Amino acid sequence: MHKNNKNISLQLIRNFPFIPSLIILIVLILLNGFYEPNSISIGSLVGLISTYLALMLLAVAQTYVVMSADIDLSVGGVISLVNVSIVAFMDHFGGGVYVVLLSLLLGIIIGILCGLINGFVVAILRLQAIVATFATSIFFMGLALYIMPVAGTPASDLFWLTYFENYFGIPFVIYALSFIILLIFFLNKSRFVKTLLAVGDGYLSAFQGGLDVTKTRVKGFLLCGFFSAVSAFCLTGETASGDPLVGTKMTLLSVAAVVLGGGALSGGSASVIGSMIGVLIIGLINSLVFFIGTPSEWQNLIQGLSILIALMIGIYINIKAQA
Amino acid sequence: MNKTGGRMLKKYLIKILTFLTFFSLTYQAQAESFKIGLSNGWVGSEWRTQMIDEAKEAAAAWAGEGVEIEILVQSANVDVPGQIAHVKNFISQGVDAIIINPNSPTAFDPVFKQAKAKGVLVISTDAEVSSQDAVYVGIDQKGWAAKSAKWLAEQLNGNGKVVAINGFAGHPANQMRVDGYTEVFNQYANIEIIAEVNANWDQAQGQQAMQTLLATYPDINGVWVQDGMAVGAWRAISDAGRDNIIATGEIRRDFFESWKVEGYKTGASVNPPGVMASALNVAVHMMLGKNLKAAATDGVYGNAIYIPIPFVDGTNFDTVYNSMKDEPGYYSYSEALTIADTANYFK
Repeated sequence: MHKNNKNISLQLIRNFPFIPSLIILIVLILLNGFYEPNSISIGSLVGLISTYLALMLLAVAQTYVVMSADIDLSVGGVISLVNVSIVAFMDHFGGGVYVVLLSLLLGIIIGILCGLINGFVVAILRLQAIVATFATSIFFMGLALYIMPVAGTPASDLFWLTYFENYFGIPFVIYALSFIILLIFFLNKSRFVKTLLAVGDGYLSAFQGGLDVTKTRVKGFLLCGFFSAVSAFCLTGETASGDPLVGTKMTLLSVAAVVLGGGALSGGSASVIGSMIGVLIIGLINSLVFFIGTPSEWQNLIQGLSILIALMIGIYINIKAQA
Repeated sequence: MNKTGGRMLKKYLIKILTFLTFFSLTYQAQAESFKIGLSNGWVGSEWRTQMIDEAKEAAAAWAGEGVEIEILVQSANVDVPGQIAHVKNFISQGVDAIIINPNSPTAFDPVFKQAKAKGVLVISTDAEVSSQDAVYVGIDQKGWAAKSAKWLAEQLNGNGKVVAINGFAGHPANQMRVDGYTEVFNQYANIEIIAEVNANWDQAQGQQAMQTLLATYPDINGVWVQDGMAVGAWRAISDAGRDNIIATGEIRRDFFESWKVEGYKTGASVNPPGVMASALNVAVHMMLGKNLKAAATDGVYGNAIYIPIPFVDGTNFDTVYNSMKDEPGYYSYSEALTIADTANYFK
């Protein structure tokens, strides 16, 4: 009986690799609430989601390339580029409803184009993803600086007021989050994600199995570009302005979140929901380190250590489950 | 009889009232206590550490005025959402004021609005913010650049070829500094800016940039270089043996050491780490309910209070050098507005 229980829980983890990170997330929420009761009020939790929604989406974007054993170091550059492009667009044409909608379309197109460029250099030209996307990130960042040489242009009021608005008593970000989770759910059901994972498990075996490896990898980058653009929308809503340097520090956090959420950078295994949880884990660790009263000189060190420990716990449980 | 009795009563009443007022005033002064959150989003340099330390010291000094201040610090390398989370954490903890060295000039508009709605005073320092719900207390980065540019132009007798080594392209403070020196050099008909490069506020990159510039332009007379890169630039100049070049400097103690030993011809505008301490003193006066003499309307966003920018050159070098003789090499020369200094800004 006891053994049976254990098997069931291991089976559960095998099917849902994000379960360890979900447990870590719940523990962190409780700890935050213990040290600062205000931090787990409904308002604060909505605030947490609204603050980290952009990074969550960026982690989602990253997950789809990690699935096929690639990596995209240009997501931060894409965020900056989309952010300054849509803000400049709204600024130039006035902030009416149609202009805002058009700017969203423009942002999606830019994101997908960036994904196409990455897919081309990585999957078709066969350059190493880590170096090639690092190079394209500099290119995207340079474009962003060309469009907006210095931070400071405000986004249209309509744009960011919508982002902070409540509809029927529920904040906009909750609708956005629900929509995104729904989208991810349908993507997960699709054949496409299974193909991505199969390709990530091994290019050769996938190819021998009759899959078009190159096409699949390019599609992964396209999806990554799409979600990076949506991430930039959230960031623009949260920050209400254009800043060509805003994405710089977000790239590596998105990679860390994928791994924290149970994804393997070697490909073939990654959970989109897990990556989103990974972002919240990073955010909550940062808050917790502050709430327990860590002296400022130690905050970076303790945060780094805590993330490392969360990583080890997750990997340990997953290894147990695979064994 | 009745009349004198009334007068006596009045006298007593006045005495009691005076006593009560006096008592309540002193009592109130003792009871003042504030919680202030300090947010720093980048810990890449000792300057930032010193900034936090000086602010903490400034807060402790208020005890002498009967004001109890509790300081909460969030200081770590974060992206913009991470620093927005700093602000939200402070609001959760119920601080009275937030003093922030912001990672972006514009990205905090919405969260500062939320803070203000909760009655939290927000002051940015070191980098200006566009939010009209916040006040900037710090130096004018444009004035900072103009001061050293003017010094350099005068040292060159208004004549010569100048190169500029700047920080990070796209960073607002960098842009303001570029505007500052460009304006000054343009006033001198015979000063020509022959090259401008970015070395990202990094000593090694500053040195490389200077080496390249020296190789490309053999006839450089003056170098205008920002802080954080001047040590590197000067090393390149010394290595090349170009002693005739005049360049701006910086304010770290290890630079002052070489300045003294090598006898550099240099001068430096001071961007003191004490800015956060100055901002804190202004914040406390505001929380005590005092009103500014002149509203905060300076700066690009019309919400700034600019504080004086010190300058170090040959004329005051020895005083400055001796004042920080016992400090470690990474220590930056600093000045902060004291409680009394900042009181002068208020009615």
